[in-house]
Amino acid sequence: MFRPWFSLSDPIWQDFDRLNREMEKIFNENYFSPTGMAATRVPIPAVNIGETSDQVLIYLFAPGLDPQDIDLTVEKNMLTISAGRDTAKELGDDAKVTGYYRKERFSGKFRRVIALPDGLDTSSVEAKYKNGILNVSIKKKEEEKTKKIEVKVD
Amino acid sequence: MADVKGQEMAVKTEDRSPQEQQRRRPVVVTPPVDIYELEDGVVLFADMPGVPKENLDVQIDKNVLTIKGEIGDIVPKEITPIYVEFNGKAYERAFTLGPDVDVSKIEATMNAGVLKIFLPKSEEVKPKKIEVKVE
Repeated sequence: MFRPWFSLSDPIWQDFDRLNREMEKIFNENYFSPTGMAATRVPIPAVNIGETSDQVLIYLFAPGLDPQDIDLTVEKNMLTISAGRDTAKELGDDAKVTGYYRKERFSGKFRRVIALPDGLDTSSVEAKYKNGILNVSIKKKEEEKTKKIEVKVD
Repeated sequence: MADVKGQEMAVKTEDRSPQEQQRRRPVVVTPPVDIYELEDGVVLFADMPGVPKENLDVQIDKNVLTIKGEIGDIVPKEITPIYVEFNGKAYERAFTLGPDVDVSKIEATMNAGVLKIFLPKSEEVKPKKIEVKVE
């Protein structure tokens, strides 16, 4: 069966992308695009993670998804997010395409596995999808929450 | 995980003094686009996750189409970053349009962080079917 040898959804290319992203972090610029003219290439959606005193928040930058296609699972301390989109379908069936000038956006399936910190209550996972960002919030266990201790003056 | 101490959470918008805001200019990201040519016009899709409709700015000056969008407030103020891959705060990109676009009839819609712009071709350049009469 014919299969293109180069496909961005192949795990090996996703690994390269991750490596590239780590490099960008180190050099604080787009490593393979010194001019910075090209679009910021994000084949697999980027993830930001932050915490507040009572919860951990995960942000996945994944525009154009159908919320019903987003699959979220938590197993032990691993959060897995899988979803995908087909950009060819966005135009609709009756559009008469005669050509294209640019095709830079990600199309296909992706999966991201995130190791969660300890001390989270994984039974209280909440997920919202808004403006193309998936926001997953997980509450910390009671004993892990930041507590304020008042200093008494004697 | 990488050490992100002192690094800012991409989407954090804080109350800062104007001097501070000027010093830390928002990180502007070039959004990836798909541009298709249709029989009756050109369609542009741009990925701009985090941009609500009201923060979007689509402009045409002469023959240059500029799209801009600012990421809205989506993180709580008291958040501390643990791991950051994306630190953009705004998107911007400009395109030069051909002379055959009818600038007065451009349509833009925003859905799930994807901007879609339809640029119709002006009437005179649309392909016309000429019927051949057989005598």
